[in-house]
Amino acid sequence: MMSLRNRPWWLGLAVMFMGAVCFHASTELAATAQYAAIGPGLFVAAVGLGLIVLGVLLLIQIARGEVFEPEEAENASAGKTMDKRAFFTALVAVILPALTIEALGLPVTAMLSFMLVARAFGSRRLVSDLIVGFVLGSLSWLLFGWLGLQLGGFFPLAGL
Amino acid sequence: MDTLALLFHGFEVALTPTNLMWAFIGSVLGTAIGVLPGIGPALTIALLLPVTVSVGPVSAFIMFAGVLYGAMYGGSTTSILINTPGEAGSMMTALEGNKMARAGRGAAALATAAIGSFVAGTIATLLLTFAAPAVAELAFLLKPADYFALTILAFTSVAVVMGASRVRGFVSLFMGLALGLIGIDAMTGQPRMTFGVADLLDGVELTVVLVSVFAVGEILYVASRYVHEQGDIVPIKGQAFMTRDDWRRSWKPWLRGTALGFPIGTIPGGGSEIPTMLSYTLEKKLSRHKDEFGKGAIEGVAGPEAANNASAAGVLVPLLTLGLPTSATAAILLAAFQNYGLQPGPFLFSSNPDLIWGLIASLYIGNVMLLVLNLPLVGVWVKLLQVPRPQLYAGILVFAMIGIWGVSGSVFDLLLMAALGVVSYVMRVYGFPIPPLLIGLILVPLAETQLRTALAAGQGSVSVLFETPISITFLVLSFLFLFAPMVLKRLRAAA
Repeated sequence: MMSLRNRPWWLGLAVMFMGAVCFHASTELAATAQYAAIGPGLFVAAVGLGLIVLGVLLLIQIARGEVFEPEEAENASAGKTMDKRAFFTALVAVILPALTIEALGLPVTAMLSFMLVARAFGSRRLVSDLIVGFVLGSLSWLLFGWLGLQLGGFFPLAGL
Repeated sequence: MDTLALLFHGFEVALTPTNLMWAFIGSVLGTAIGVLPGIGPALTIALLLPVTVSVGPVSAFIMFAGVLYGAMYGGSTTSILINTPGEAGSMMTALEGNKMARAGRGAAALATAAIGSFVAGTIATLLLTFAAPAVAELAFLLKPADYFALTILAFTSVAVVMGASRVRGFVSLFMGLALGLIGIDAMTGQPRMTFGVADLLDGVELTVVLVSVFAVGEILYVASRYVHEQGDIVPIKGQAFMTRDDWRRSWKPWLRGTALGFPIGTIPGGGSEIPTMLSYTLEKKLSRHKDEFGKGAIEGVAGPEAANNASAAGVLVPLLTLGLPTSATAAILLAAFQNYGLQPGPFLFSSNPDLIWGLIASLYIGNVMLLVLNLPLVGVWVKLLQVPRPQLYAGILVFAMIGIWGVSGSVFDLLLMAALGVVSYVMRVYGFPIPPLLIGLILVPLAETQLRTALAAGQGSVSVLFETPISITFLVLSFLFLFAPMVLKRLRAAA
């Protein structure tokens, strides 16, 4: 049995919060467009209320000591404790594209993200990972660009 | 034109050299991703969606069909040879198949899985050929209230069946519904839940959500709990494929598996887990070699594998005829249709026969291709498992990024990718199922439009929702689905 302190109360609260946000958004939708009490806010309100109720149910389950078992995945052990360093390295790799893709372009962004994820998974071949990432990014840039996708410049910072 | 003539026409479409090439690419890609961990058919098709910009719909769907079937062939290979079922549908295969492999009968297990998949896939495609036009005709009779009840059925069944807990299934579903409501309301033109962000006016793209929750969430999750050991691959060199006795023991399970898989696949929430478990339980009951079960019984591979493939074809029936996706893969196929401005449903059969029948014909062709590709080349596929994991997952992220950036060119969507990736990481850690979120997201516009149309026609009276026998049936079924977990639990215990 989990101790009261280790229970994930925040999960229930987070679900209720999402519900509250939805419900609040529904009240801001003008009622002018309504016909027979059905307007654009109806579904939003229903979903918001639903989430609030589900959040309460989740809290009740948590209070009763519900066990939350992680999903099984290949190459991962559900019972293992979280490797924070690996997680945050991968997280940086995931956030990075939004920050760099406009300035550095796809190939360089791919190179950096590739290296970071490989590192999160324990690879220590820094240079070879950077090279592989850059080659993969460049080839994809060429291939998908040829297929008609708008992928931006090769290296916009240098005007390429 | 009758169905056979239409199907014949479909073969004319699918057998052109270009489309054969796309079917081949799809089959190869599908098998590869089935073998590799971390990527399923839904994610692969999502990442391939960018090609819809430059490739015609017929060719694209022929390729996607190859991916869909190929992934299952590849999945059974890894289940048997290294005991890692990539998806719920191959769990039963791993149970007996890996034991067979360890007993030196790996080649026979692979063969019965591949031939069983072929038999089931072909029969199920045949059933699809004749069932789909009939269901599409019926779909014309559905009123808005019926359609709304049908979406409720899809919602409940998916939320209840997929996952360990009903509450968590519904949380996932409602999160999907909320995401799907973001953007301009199609009926009144009002922006909803955009919170002043201009990028949200167009709504949240299914592709972005799918790539984020499958690829990014998986990368974060596996990175945080990565296990380095590689399962040992059982060698099969020099083994004979199937003996006369193996054939004799396999053919009935293949047919029974198909008979279970196809109808269950057509039901919302049926999925592939239930028919494979049912098939396994049934074969165990019927077998004359009960003592072999748990130690490598060939019936336990043949039946579930056939059921798995047949259910995949079954999923296409509601998708093509009603526009109703019942699995994550079907949801992404629906998104692909929408990318082309096409709406699957009864009208597609008359407006776009080339596409529908070309797709159905390519399922037959894909099955033949996969059989030829898989059995003799199993050694090549197994080599794929030697791709080092760090670089494999790194590559998946690069393709996820391209999938999102290439379609929208929006930095906001890349930020959304990171945020949804973290959300789906949390969902994985606490056992919230992912598919209900996707089904909710893609079906909420349909549910809402039909509800509002129905209510408007009934001048706001809720009773209009319970007026037709069809809508009542669907709603009663939705209610009954709430009790499905108890049945599932017993099935699991029996297996």
